[in-house]
Amino acid sequence: MNSVIFLTIVLLALSSYFFGRKKAILIQSNKRLTALPKFYGYYLAIWCGAPAFLLYALWSIFEPSIVRFFILSDYSSQGLLEGELNLFYEKVKSLSRNQYSGELTAELQRSAEKYLNFRDIAKWSKVVIVLSLLIASTGYAYTKISNNTKTREPVEIFLKGVFFLSSLAAILTTIGIIFSLLFQTIEFFQVIPLFDFVFGMHWYPAKAFVRDASEALDPSMYSDTFGAVPIFAGTFFIAFIAMCVAIPIGLLSGIYMAEYASKRLRQYAKPVIEILAGIPTVVYGFFAALTVGPFLKDLGLSLGLEVSAESALAAGGVMGIMIIPFISSLSDDVITSVPQNLRDGSYAMGATKSETIKRVIIPAALPGIVGSILLGVSRAIGETMIVVMASGLAANLTLNPLESTSTITAQIVVILIGDQQFGDPKTQAAFALGLSLFIVTLVLNIVALSVVKKYREKYE
Amino acid sequence: MNKIEAKNVDVYYGAKQALFDINMDIEANKVTALIGPSGCGKSTFLRCLNRMNDVIDICKVSGVVKINDYDINQKDTDVVRLREKVGMIFQKPNPFPKTIYENISYGPEIHGIAQSKSEMDNIVEESLRKAALWEEVKDRIHEPGTGLSGGQQQRLCIARTISIKPEVILMDEPCSALDPIATAQIEELIDELRKEHTIIIVTHSMSQAARVSQNTGFFHLGKLIEVGSTDKIFKNPTQQQTQDYITGRFG
Repeated sequence: MNSVIFLTIVLLALSSYFFGRKKAILIQSNKRLTALPKFYGYYLAIWCGAPAFLLYALWSIFEPSIVRFFILSDYSSQGLLEGELNLFYEKVKSLSRNQYSGELTAELQRSAEKYLNFRDIAKWSKVVIVLSLLIASTGYAYTKISNNTKTREPVEIFLKGVFFLSSLAAILTTIGIIFSLLFQTIEFFQVIPLFDFVFGMHWYPAKAFVRDASEALDPSMYSDTFGAVPIFAGTFFIAFIAMCVAIPIGLLSGIYMAEYASKRLRQYAKPVIEILAGIPTVVYGFFAALTVGPFLKDLGLSLGLEVSAESALAAGGVMGIMIIPFISSLSDDVITSVPQNLRDGSYAMGATKSETIKRVIIPAALPGIVGSILLGVSRAIGETMIVVMASGLAANLTLNPLESTSTITAQIVVILIGDQQFGDPKTQAAFALGLSLFIVTLVLNIVALSVVKKYREKYE
Repeated sequence: MNKIEAKNVDVYYGAKQALFDINMDIEANKVTALIGPSGCGKSTFLRCLNRMNDVIDICKVSGVVKINDYDINQKDTDVVRLREKVGMIFQKPNPFPKTIYENISYGPEIHGIAQSKSEMDNIVEESLRKAALWEEVKDRIHEPGTGLSGGQQQRLCIARTISIKPEVILMDEPCSALDPIATAQIEELIDELRKEHTIIIVTHSMSQAARVSQNTGFFHLGKLIEVGSTDKIFKNPTQQQTQDYITGRFG
């Protein structure tokens, strides 16, 4: 039913565009138009579609809660708890779908019938009201264009509004996410002192599982549980390993692609490198966990080294491979955008190709290269799947790449996987970690973007 | 004495022939101007003289170009040595994104000319003086070369080129991006430079060719139509086409 209404609105709006345009052409034979005929079409189409669609959307959002209110109003006098009402309502809904298998009561039966009834009324009244609004607003707009009023300006204002609302939605969600992080984090720090979190040496959130929900919250039991140093260290350590792989290979391949590769090779090789960026990280994850990890372990054994199957080296190395295309492709772009006349100038001085690259092109492209590296770092820090799968979840404080360690993102996964209890320090710890991660990557991105921007100004 | 002798030079860009059988001699310590309408091949010919066409993949050069009686188009020619001897100034000033000092020390460094810091300092100062730029920049030689004005940048590029003491300097429309005052400064400089260097300059401006050069070659549609002393070319050309171009009837 919903899709039928939606489709009807779209079709009517579309046809009213053609209708409005035709009307304008008719008017044109007697009078001068205030805008091109297509604006008359847009005007009519917007008035036809927009109000009806808005009402339709609002109705769909509020209908369930209104129906719920009517059904449950019968029982409001009985002094039931919110949870009991919820349970009852769920039973009513499943009964109305014939999926209920519990005990049938007269109350339940009656409410289910009432529910179905209401749903039916709601459905048909929605159709009628939405369509009549559509007809009314289209009629209003039609009289307007018949009187040859201004159409271009309202259309422009409407479009401006659409653009504005879109950007507003983007900004508001971002702000909303930041605030939800912030509030939960503040609550977390009311139980766990900030100092313990930032400087604590032990991360062991599983300890917080032990608490019985009915027990009173005792902050002392969390001492030495939420010390974030090991996972911050692990995060930067793994990111460091990743960058040790990604920077040299990415940069050198970027230079090769930009300066040495023939057009033909570049044409084929560049997309291949960029395919690496399109591989889902979860695939890298099992590549690291099932291929690289065991390989390193076997290699270590043959050398007489103790290597964990879930080593930081495996996770960091594969993460580095994942980041190569970013650095390669971005640095290729910045190197290619170094003006040819700088190369010519250097060659004309009798410089060789490698001298030119080393002494003219790299310095000229350096800000852009640094920007690409910083973007790579912020990706490495935010990467989750590879670490979860390949580097284990135990937050060891270690600088041995052959041992397993854990990162901020992996710990957030550990904490929030499965059932969570809201208002629990363990859950809130995830928000605190998320906020820290957000701040780190935000700073990195700001620095990277400003560096890249500075570079752009230089040549444009 | 002829510094450069070009014999039967043909240049192709892919399938398109850009130069047809060019024969031209260039005298030492004189300024030779190459004139002609756009796309006539004068810049292409200029780039044959230091093998800058090598940089362009699809460009094929044949024929003999002798500098100091040595054919530079041989397979085993050391292009690095060649370009050390034959410098080039481009249409658009192209200082490296480095300091003024580093822009000039670049050449001596890659060719291992200076043995010490003080020697390098001397080369930098001398080059800047010869390019008539020293007085303007002596207080800021450690600032970026890209911060200079267009005319100053072009003189910086000239200073950069003469820092390795090339025997020949090729100039590809060196003043086309400059204002009249900067142009006059460069022209004055060119006359000064010819004492020590042989200069070949491509120019769109016939008045510039007349002002700065002793010899002139006129190119049209990839062919060298006429070459001779600037006086003769401008006052008494033997070819009708040259006459038409000089008097502004086409081009």
